[in-house]
Amino acid sequence: MSRPFGCLLVLFCLLGGMTVQAMASETNMPWLEPFSLTGWAEAIQSVRTHRPNDSLTSRARLRLELEADFNVFYGFVSADAEKNWQIEDETGIDLQEAWLEYAADRWDLRIGRQIVIWGKADGVQITDIVSPPDYTESITRDLDEIRIPVDAAKLRLLGDFVNTELIWIPVFEPAVQPSGDNPWAVETDLPDNVHVTMADVDEPDTSMENSEIALKVAAYLSGLDVAASVFHTWDDNPAFHRTIRREGDTVFVDYAPRHHRLTVLGLEFSRPWSDFVFRGEAAYYIGKYHETKPTALDPMQRDLLKWLGGVDWTPGNDWTVIAQITGDIIMNHDARLADEAFETMATLSISKELLNQTLTVSNMLYYDLNENEIYTRPKADYALTDTWHLMTGADIFCGDDGRFGGYRNNSQVWVKIKYSF
Amino acid sequence: MRKQILKTIFFCIALLMAVLPAQAAETTPTGLKIMTRVDDRPDGDDRTQMLTMTLINKSRRQRIRKVKSYSKDFGKDKKSVMVFEKPADVRGTAFLSWEYDDPAREDDKWLYMPAMKKVRRISGASKNEYFMGSDFTYDDMGDRNVEEDTHTLLGEEVVDGHDCWKVESIPVDPEDMYTRKVIWVCKAADMAIKAEYYDKDGLLKTFKALDFRQQDGFWTLFKSEMDNVSRKHKTVMEIDSVKYNTGINDNLFRVSTIQRGNIR
Repeated sequence: MSRPFGCLLVLFCLLGGMTVQAMASETNMPWLEPFSLTGWAEAIQSVRTHRPNDSLTSRARLRLELEADFNVFYGFVSADAEKNWQIEDETGIDLQEAWLEYAADRWDLRIGRQIVIWGKADGVQITDIVSPPDYTESITRDLDEIRIPVDAAKLRLLGDFVNTELIWIPVFEPAVQPSGDNPWAVETDLPDNVHVTMADVDEPDTSMENSEIALKVAAYLSGLDVAASVFHTWDDNPAFHRTIRREGDTVFVDYAPRHHRLTVLGLEFSRPWSDFVFRGEAAYYIGKYHETKPTALDPMQRDLLKWLGGVDWTPGNDWTVIAQITGDIIMNHDARLADEAFETMATLSISKELLNQTLTVSNMLYYDLNENEIYTRPKADYALTDTWHLMTGADIFCGDDGRFGGYRNNSQVWVKIKYSF
Repeated sequence: MRKQILKTIFFCIALLMAVLPAQAAETTPTGLKIMTRVDDRPDGDDRTQMLTMTLINKSRRQRIRKVKSYSKDFGKDKKSVMVFEKPADVRGTAFLSWEYDDPAREDDKWLYMPAMKKVRRISGASKNEYFMGSDFTYDDMGDRNVEEDTHTLLGEEVVDGHDCWKVESIPVDPEDMYTRKVIWVCKAADMAIKAEYYDKDGLLKTFKALDFRQQDGFWTLFKSEMDNVSRKHKTVMEIDSVKYNTGINDNLFRVSTIQRGNIR
């Protein structure tokens, strides 16, 4: 038995499968009744499809979620314990969310560490930038697994059809990129005469002035959902500012990465019609810094428009088809920028449920139209019982050196087992 | 005098002739009228229930689905929320629907998935999908307009000691998953207590009410089973608890409520 699966077996034995409610009734402790403890344990092991056919993903993870329901007050805490045999830094215990909520008739307030998800897109982030992403394993983790919680206060004013959401984030949380000996870290080839030094990332201090503020107004009407938002934030990824020194033939590049302020204006809609749901989303990033092609040139500030159009089709017989087209447009584009003025990507997700909905076979395909590169994620998920799921799948990268082709040697097949309680 | 007697007799005969067909029509309603009565059967202004479905496959292996549901009438329209409690991997999934009486108007539906932590608008048209792997489609669970079928009264039969109308319902839409349904409606309860579903290959599945009785003055189906003959799969549906007219707050049926991820 491999290490991740052995670990999962031990976790399962420790859990014993007893719920808090069951304990409350069996031990005559009614004060336990508002609480519930749920979660899951999973183990995944992958093999690289290219030589040396070694392991790329090898981890076991336990998620515990504790809820406390006191009617108008509600508390939630979730934490992860992970053993990662591939990326040692990931091993440990992490507090995920920890928040308290008060719900009145016409408003609610959630304070604490929480995940905030916006937008109508599927597997792509346009306005969904409140909780930054964790790309430790690139994009091979599902989108719901890569969100980093933020310390925030979220106030919602609730109408019958229109909600207004105000979020205050006093503590900056950056995105996480793979680094070091992580197999998903991107290596940059530099000429022999170029020497690079990298300073610590300059992150904004925690202060009122550096707070992030978001406002969103969303309407849920008959036959139409529509929302508009504004988010005064910090770019989750730093811009790599640099100074260049030349000593003879040798070039010294001193990087000083720094996060910058961004204001993002968002619009989104969703409209059902017959077996279809049409979705659209757009975000205008004011003040975005972009990487440049020449090593000696500092990042350049240009506004960015991100957009997405999509359609969900549920034709029946347990089929689901989701097609999307999405793009980035850099305003006042400069030829020295690393990214092109117009970048477009299409996604296609097809899933089918079989054997009385115990087996789900699906594929999510990303196609970069500019670079002609593909990332495809076939997957089969079989419910062995109500609590045990056995999954297998692959992450296949095709292309040269673009956003997907750069990982072409990291294509992998994997098997995962998950126990939910 | 004789003339008067004859007049009275003629009047009585005329009256009888006028009244009798009307009475006959009252005692023998049309298929449409029976199915409309089933659809309009009083069930309070709002209702809360806990539903357990046991899914049994051909090797007798069982899977359990547990759902808490709330629904409320808003005039002739209905709003409902279903929150899944079992199995564990879908626990907390919430399904909100606003169902409109007007068949020309598409229902509004949203799904909250705890793993994604967001609400997603879903298509209102796919009612022929099986509900959570069970043998009940969304339509079978009551989410179907009477006008979507043509109903014909086939006769009267006794089922498990209950006097029933036997009605044949043929979908208006030729693309419907069923080609026809035969439904036995209990006269006393205005409730379908037995049904056969046919597709182009013949008998697809059979439905049977196993326990139905009045609670709080409303006829309630407490236990039923759907036997899918073609899939060799069966679903037993039980209502663990049901409450009527508790005055559910309208707020429960807002998108913002399911967006919280905890229904309260």
